[in-house]
Order: sequence, then structure tokens, then C-alpha cells
Amino acid sequence: MDGTKALATPANQFSTPRRNTLFRQRMIWAYIFISLPVAGLLVFSLGPILFTGWVSLHEWNMLTPPSEMPWVGLSNYVYLLTQDTIFQRALVNTFIFVIGGVGSNVILGLAFALLLNSRLRGQTLWRVLYFLPVITAPLALGVIFGFLFNRNYGLVNSLLIALGGTRQPFLASPDQALYVIIIMAVYQYLGYYIVIFVAGLQGIPQDYYDAASVDGANVWQRFRHITLPLLRPVMLFVIVTNTIGALQVFDLVFATTNGGPANSTMTVVLHMYNTAFKFQRMGRASAMAFILLAIILAITIVQLRLLRDRTQE
Amino acid sequence: MNRSPLLVSLILVVVLVLGASIAGAQEEITLRVLTHWGEEIVLPGQLAMIEAYEAANPGVKIELETVPFNDLLTKIITGQTAGTNPDIFHLYNLWLPEFTRSGLLAVPPQEVVDAIVANTSPGIVEGVSAGGQVWGWPTEVNTYLLIYNKRLLEEAGYSEPPQNWEELREMAAAMTVTDDTGAITQAGFAVWPGWDSGIVHPFASLLMSNGGRYLTEDLSATAFNSPEGLETLQLYADLLADGSLDISVPSGEFVNGRVGMTIMANWWRATLRAAEAIDYDTEVGVAPIPVGPSGSETATMSYNWLWSVASTSEHPEVAWDFIQWMNTPPAEGEPSPMGDYLVHSLGAIPSMIYDQEAFSEELGDHFLAPFVASTAYAVPEPIAAGGQEVKTKLQAEIEAVLSGMQDPASALEFAAMEGDAVLAEYAAQ
Repeated sequence: MDGTKALATPANQFSTPRRNTLFRQRMIWAYIFISLPVAGLLVFSLGPILFTGWVSLHEWNMLTPPSEMPWVGLSNYVYLLTQDTIFQRALVNTFIFVIGGVGSNVILGLAFALLLNSRLRGQTLWRVLYFLPVITAPLALGVIFGFLFNRNYGLVNSLLIALGGTRQPFLASPDQALYVIIIMAVYQYLGYYIVIFVAGLQGIPQDYYDAASVDGANVWQRFRHITLPLLRPVMLFVIVTNTIGALQVFDLVFATTNGGPANSTMTVVLHMYNTAFKFQRMGRASAMAFILLAIILAITIVQLRLLRDRTQE
Repeated sequence: MNRSPLLVSLILVVVLVLGASIAGAQEEITLRVLTHWGEEIVLPGQLAMIEAYEAANPGVKIELETVPFNDLLTKIITGQTAGTNPDIFHLYNLWLPEFTRSGLLAVPPQEVVDAIVANTSPGIVEGVSAGGQVWGWPTEVNTYLLIYNKRLLEEAGYSEPPQNWEELREMAAAMTVTDDTGAITQAGFAVWPGWDSGIVHPFASLLMSNGGRYLTEDLSATAFNSPEGLETLQLYADLLADGSLDISVPSGEFVNGRVGMTIMANWWRATLRAAEAIDYDTEVGVAPIPVGPSGSETATMSYNWLWSVASTSEHPEVAWDFIQWMNTPPAEGEPSPMGDYLVHSLGAIPSMIYDQEAFSEELGDHFLAPFVASTAYAVPEPIAAGGQEVKTKLQAEIEAVLSGMQDPASALEFAAMEGDAVLAEYAAQ
């Protein structure tokens, strides 16, 4: 049999051995192409995570070679969970920040997105205005908010006095400083979540609303039974990503209060940074990183399960 | 056999070997120097020094690396991990215990140690030592004194700054101005919240002026939780209750003419001279730390910076030579290049006695003179392993008192308990 002719016929063109060879060749190339990112992931992500876990079981000041780190077992974890009062305070502060920040971003983000998605005049201008703080440097925001909320010459206090209120210490108060930082964080990131919500709203077909209107549904009923259920995937994204980001809050606090006054705005990542680079206790800081990782993982799983189950109802 | 090719080959080999040796001998040595003196106004002086040394030492090239003070320790730590640390560090002396314990620094040659001991005060030698060993060449010395606004003091009816705490409270209250809404437009006394040294160093200076100690003599425990310490923190609480102190009007507001008195170090001079809202020559006054009720004489805390050589430097002899060259007068009666730089570029007080003498006129400036005088009695900040952590814990508790969320006794007790635990932990290592 003439092999050339046999190959030329359409029936034999995809014969099993030939297909297998092609498939194998493609797979080899696929593995070659994918191996680079996988190697990068292993070296630059998984490697450091495993190394951090290893360091968390040691005492290390980063000045001696890692091979000379004294083994301390779980004592860094025990210390953090039982004796480190600043870490415990930082955990509470971080959770307050997450609840306040994520809650505000979801509620306000959705509210403004609904407004922007309606027939509001100058929509583009409003979107730009809301998005501007997202691209503002946290340090600059920290300085501006420092002036705005200053106890003695801040604009917010001037407004309070003008409205008949009493002067508030804000950033100088251990009871109020954290909430000012939450306001600052919401101000900075709200625009981003508005954009996400607007994109989600625009993905909901108008037909559903029209059909509901024909059936006599009012605005609230359309929002409750059409908008909210269909926005759940977007909501899930916003809540999960915002929660993860909020649990890792650092720059805003570092730029405004540096954790003060009296550790009232200390967050887990800021305390981690101080522990590692100011006190040179890398083992303890690594243990904090792992505790934070566990918290983020647990919260994310809970959020995914809760929100995913509802979307499948 | 024809000998010519062999001879030519031999000559070629000899020429090549000699050439390589000469090239090797002329190979340039590069020293990397890391410091936090990086602002534009203080760079030219350093570069001029480096240029002069390079001109006098052909074959040596100095590369200057600068980072802001807040990033310096991080830079050193990460540099050590990455193996990219420079040959010469500029260090804050509180970092010495951890650095020396980890073998980060090279021991200075004996002639360097002898030169330092012979030409500085014992307090400064102590300030650059850890474990009985001098670890580097001291640069500037900083002490803390009362800085006050002469104009505001006079407007409040006083001609002289306070000498004791009673007068401090009285004058602070008199200098405080509030508007009809209760806002403090001018604070009588200010501290620097959010910054550990800005809170703890002034507190420690007041504590020492009240007869107290910061740490025990053997550095094994805190000593600030004492009757003297309690009186010191009570002073802050009293100033707060008087309305003369408000953490939302920090020491930094002094340059805007909104603060009557604060306690700061002499390195602040450059900022004060550049301030537009106050006149440095006529309005900025400096006085010894007021004496507390349990104290008998004024006291203050000092700290040092020093040049050290990395133990990983490939050219430690050259590195020490550069450091020694910077800090040695070219001729008797003249200042050292570093002394000249410290005084003229930074406005700082040099540690070396010959520099202080050579610049006696410049250091006799109304602002610097009291600081220079205070170096004679200043107590160096205790250089204890874990000292930075103790300082940060005390800062948080002092801020808790200044925020009205903690009483002085509880705050000191808690700071001491936590500080003692840190010191005990390091001592056990």
C-alpha cells in the first residue's frame, strides 16, 4: 500500500496513531508552556509560603543564616494566642475594620451603582469622580484625612460645631481613630466596587424587569426578586475580595496613625511588619502570617459556601 | 633545534603574567556605604568628602547608598538576608546588641578604638559599645532639651523658661490658647505621638531629671515603674488635665508657632532654621530639662549614631581607613572632614572633642550651645537587647495616658511587665 496516498485520504488523515502522535506533541508543547508559570508559582509563591511556615517554627532575626535558626516548635503560635496583647488587639481591630469596611462597601457600593445605572445625567462624570480616590496614594489620603479630622482645626469638627455638635478628637481618640480609618478606606475603595456592581447590574437583562412590571411588581419587589438574586455572583466576588483585602490592611493605617494612639488602630499586618522589621522577630511575624492565612482561608470558605448555596437555590 | 620560537613564547608568557599581575594590582576597590543622610540638602557634603578620599586614594571607589531613616533597619535586615549589604553601615546605637549578637559587624582595629576612646567623652564611648566592645566610630551625638518659643513665653508673662515641673505646668497653662469653641489654637506643651523615640526619649529625660532610671543598671529589667516614673507620667496626665497638652497638637506644630514648649533633640535644628512661621534667631529658645519634685538636678538622655564595617566586607582594612580618614583632622587644630560635615551640613553636634573645639564658635549658637553643654552630663540610652521593643511598649502606654484611656499607675505597671518579659526573653537567649 502506498503510504503517501493513504495519508492523503481524508479518512486516514485522523487515524488513531497519527492522532495520538499529534496529541502527544501538542501535550508536550502544552506542558513546556505551562511549566514556566508553574515553576514560577512554585518558586515565588509556594516556596515562600512553605519557608514562612518553616520560619514560624523557629526564632530568627534575619541577620543570621536560616540554617542557624533555633527551633522553637509551636511556641511562637502559643505566645501570639496567649500572651501577645498587641496581636490580640490587632485581631479585634482588623475584624472591626473588615465588618465596617466590607459592610459599607457592599451597601454603599450597590446603592451608588443603582443610582449610576439609572437614567442619571452625567453618568460618566459621576463614575470618574467616584473612581478618583481609588487611584489616589494612601499616603496622600492619610494626610488629607489627618487635616479633615483634626480635633482643633479640622473641617469635620468645624462642621460639627456649626451644626451645634461638640468637638470630637477623632484620630486622637483610641475610641474613634479606627472608625475614621474605616471611613477613609471606604472612601478610597468604594469607587472600585461601584464599577463592579454597575457592570453586574448591566448584565441583568431588561426583559426580566419589563416582565415583572407587567405582572405588577413595584420597585422594591423588582430589586428584591430580580436584582439581588442575579447580582449574587458579583456580590460574592465583592465580599470575598474585599474581605481578603481588608484583613490585610496596612498602608492606610501605616500612613495615618501608625497603629496609635495606644495601639487602638493596630492591625494584624502592621503588627506583623513591626514584629519582623522593627523588633527583628521573623519567626513570630511568620506565625502571625500563618494565623492570618488560616483566618482568611476559613472566612473565604464560609463566604463561598453561604453565598454559593444561595445562588443554587 | 631552533631556539627562537621557544624564546619568543617564554617572553610572551612572562609579559602576559606580568601584565595580569599589574592589572590585578591596579584593580579598583569599591566600597559601598549605606546611610540615612539622603536628603538633597545633606548629600553634597558627603559627596565632597567621598571625592576627596577617592582623590587621595586612587584605586578606591566609594558608592553611597541612602535610604530614609524609617527604612534603614529594614534595608539592612533584608540586605543581610539577600547578601547585598554594603561594606559600611551608618547605625543607630540601639541596634547594636542584635547586630553584634548576629555577627553582622566587624570588630574595629585597635588603633580605631584607641582614637575613639582618646577623643570622645566616656558617655559617647559607652554609646557606641556593646558587650564591652567599641563597634564603630561615633558620628553625631543627640541629647534632649526643652525647646520653647520665646515670644509665646513672653506673651504669657514670663521671661525665663521653667526650671522645675511646677513652673512647667504653670507656664504651659499660661501659654495655652483655646478659641470660643474649645479648640486649642496654641498648646503650652507638646509631645510627638505615633513615634516611639519622640514619645519615650522626652519621657526618659524628664524621668532622669526626677531622679529616676529607664532600665536597671545591668539592663536586665525596666526601672521606669518607680515612684519617680509615676510622678513623670502623672506630669503628663496633669498637663492633659490642665488642657495644656493635646496629642492632636503634636511637637511638630512648634514650627508653625502653635506650641509653646516641647522636648526634642538637637537634630531638629535644621527644621527649626527652615521654619517660616517662627524666627529661629529670636523666637527659638533652649533650656535644660526642668527638674522634677524627686530630682536634684537636670538630666537628659543621649543617643549616638556610628559608622561600622560589615563583617562580610571584602575590604575591611580599606573600609576602616575610609572611616578613620573621615573622622581624623588633617592637621592639629583643624576639624575632621566628618566634623565639618556634621556641623555645616547637618547642624549636628560632632562626637569628637577636637571637632567640638574646632567648631566652638558655630556650636556656640544660641540653640546648639545648651545641647553641647548637656553632652557632659547626658546619660546614654541603655543599649539592651530588646530595647526597641521595650521602647515601643512604653510608647503605647504613655499614649494611652495621653488619650485619657489609662491612668499613669496602670500604664506604667503594664509597660514594665511587658518590657521585663522582653528583656528576660533576650537575656535567656
